[in-house]
Amino acid sequence: MTRVGAFIVRRIFASIFTVLAMIALTFVIFWAIPSSPASFLYPFAQHLYPYQIHRANHVFGLDRPKIVQFADYVWHLARGDLGRQWDGSHVNADQSVTQVPISSYLFADLRITLSLLIGGAVLVLLIALPLGALTARYRNSIGDRAVGFLTLAAICTHPMVVGLILRTVFGDNLKWLPDSGYCTFIKHPVAGPVAGSFFGSTAGCGGGPWPWFQHLILPWISFALLFLALYTRMSRASVLEVMHEDFVRTARAKGASESRVVGIHVLPNAGIRILTMIGMEIGTAIGIAVYIEAAYNLGGLASLAVREFAGGSLDLPVILAIVTMITLVVIVGNLIVDLVYVLVDPRVGGATMRARRSLTEPAVVG
Amino acid sequence: MPTFRRFARDRAAVVALAVLLVVAVACSIGGPVASTLLHHNGEDLFPYAVNDNLRPVGPWTRVPALNQAKILPDSTLAPPPKGAKRTLFVLGADSNVGRDEFIRVLDSGKASLEIGIGGVLIAILVGLPLGAIAGYFGRWFDAIVSRLTELVMAFPLILLLVLVSVRLRPTLEPISIQHVLPPGVLLVALMIGLFTSFYPLRLVRAQMLTLKRAEFVEAERMIGASNWRIVVRHLIPHLVPTLLVWGAVAAGTNILLEVGLSFIGAGVPITTPTWGSMLVTTWGTIYSPHPYNAQAFTPWLTIVPTLAIMISVVALNQAAEGARRALAPRET
Repeated sequence: MTRVGAFIVRRIFASIFTVLAMIALTFVIFWAIPSSPASFLYPFAQHLYPYQIHRANHVFGLDRPKIVQFADYVWHLARGDLGRQWDGSHVNADQSVTQVPISSYLFADLRITLSLLIGGAVLVLLIALPLGALTARYRNSIGDRAVGFLTLAAICTHPMVVGLILRTVFGDNLKWLPDSGYCTFIKHPVAGPVAGSFFGSTAGCGGGPWPWFQHLILPWISFALLFLALYTRMSRASVLEVMHEDFVRTARAKGASESRVVGIHVLPNAGIRILTMIGMEIGTAIGIAVYIEAAYNLGGLASLAVREFAGGSLDLPVILAIVTMITLVVIVGNLIVDLVYVLVDPRVGGATMRARRSLTEPAVVG
Repeated sequence: MPTFRRFARDRAAVVALAVLLVVAVACSIGGPVASTLLHHNGEDLFPYAVNDNLRPVGPWTRVPALNQAKILPDSTLAPPPKGAKRTLFVLGADSNVGRDEFIRVLDSGKASLEIGIGGVLIAILVGLPLGAIAGYFGRWFDAIVSRLTELVMAFPLILLLVLVSVRLRPTLEPISIQHVLPPGVLLVALMIGLFTSFYPLRLVRAQMLTLKRAEFVEAERMIGASNWRIVVRHLIPHLVPTLLVWGAVAAGTNILLEVGLSFIGAGVPITTPTWGSMLVTTWGTIYSPHPYNAQAFTPWLTIVPTLAIMISVVALNQAAEGARRALAPRET
């Protein structure tokens, strides 16, 4: 097997192992957190009696041995079932329990967040790389300084404020685009509220690619602005660095034109470094998505997470599902970026060219 | 000292430092001074600073200096009595209760800077010892700390902050020191400090790993110095430049994190003025956003705190950048 092939196989197995370890660890941590499931079954009780606590534990299956619970959890997880939430559950007359399955809304919310993240990432890559290359090419020109100043300003403004300003100007004031809400990509017949979004309302929107696109333009721009600024600065720095490499000098010596040197030799190499950074920042990006989803009332996984995390009493199954889902997105995202990385740049089976953000590069606030 | 000379020759860095000093002075004593000069303070309510559409008055307006007003039967305000004294609102009024935006932005700066700098100090206080131990002694401690760091840093920071700060809120939020530490500031600074201590931890650990193999450490060990003495007297001083540069950048990030926490409703209480809570006064939190109202919409209420944040954070970043250039002139 080739070196690249071996690396890919090793990387995939490592990811699977990480996922399994993560599932076990989060399960242990989350069931160690003190919680009160009975308060969800008896939401109006001023005081919980021991029999109520006992009853709730039995109803939610918490009186089984922990190992059985874990096996049950993993078995359901493997089939894409994230369990049922405690909140809003009630016991029927025949002693059966009605609970809302978490999967019924979590995957819909995940789709919203992924639409935001992927669209934003595409926007960032499309603009940041050429802009960084241009500013590196015309270093210290007025344009370079202006871009440098604008990117610094964008980094130092809170994404929520950016989102609110764009929404107010282009959505509410000029009315060019819808100011809030999410519209599903796939057409659905019912033009009513769709289950799942806590913040967003999809009322009056039948779905479809064009409305979906329209509803997401402003969120994408707001989301991308911060990362755009960061990556423009970084791609400028990487292009400047790559410019001095031997292979660039060789290309010049061969008599390649300036645009060919930059386009064929410098940009792909600088791009690889950007790619690795993106892989490392998926967690941060989800943190930023909290604000963008809130500013545009999109709903989505990040909004759901912040709502559940900030709640007074913890609905542990939901929190467990959210944490699992976010870490899964982070791990899978990292895997994809690493695989793309090794296919684009087969020289490395690892970390030689991995970009690091410099010490004084402002961190992001996710 | 060549480092200081290099810093002094760097124009951008000197300007940034000067701006930083101005911001720090303005935020620490600017509020009380402005209150004395303008004869009202940031908590005073002025009904006449808001028009009948609940739109606050714009910048540089003279407002009748009355703290209450009669409401006419058609629910508008009675015209102010003739000859009522007027007071100057430099940046206009802040919301439908009519407080002075200018004095509030100065007062807010104090809490915001306290959170920014306090968070950095707490992060270093936690991260430095852990990172030093992990990097210098290594072994199982290093393995645990490194895995934990990777785990926590891969997860969205803001969600962890929200999860913990909501739970510690009842205990920590009321702690305050009159005129020095407003309520809620300690809670937010502590939370941000604890959850960002992974960054200095990693920096310190990485530097320790290279430093502990340096020749001067070997020489120290040969003359019989203890590990403790090597770390505290010889290695930690080497970390000061790195931590200084990181701290300046992180202080800016912390100010932005505070804004985010306020928007989520997990930051300081709305009664404590910070730049974040000023923005929340205008826009509402993410749970109860204020609906858009074209009649009452006032752009400067967003622009003023945003500019204040931007100026401080840009100055912090540029000063850090200058310090890094001065400390390590060979790297660009």
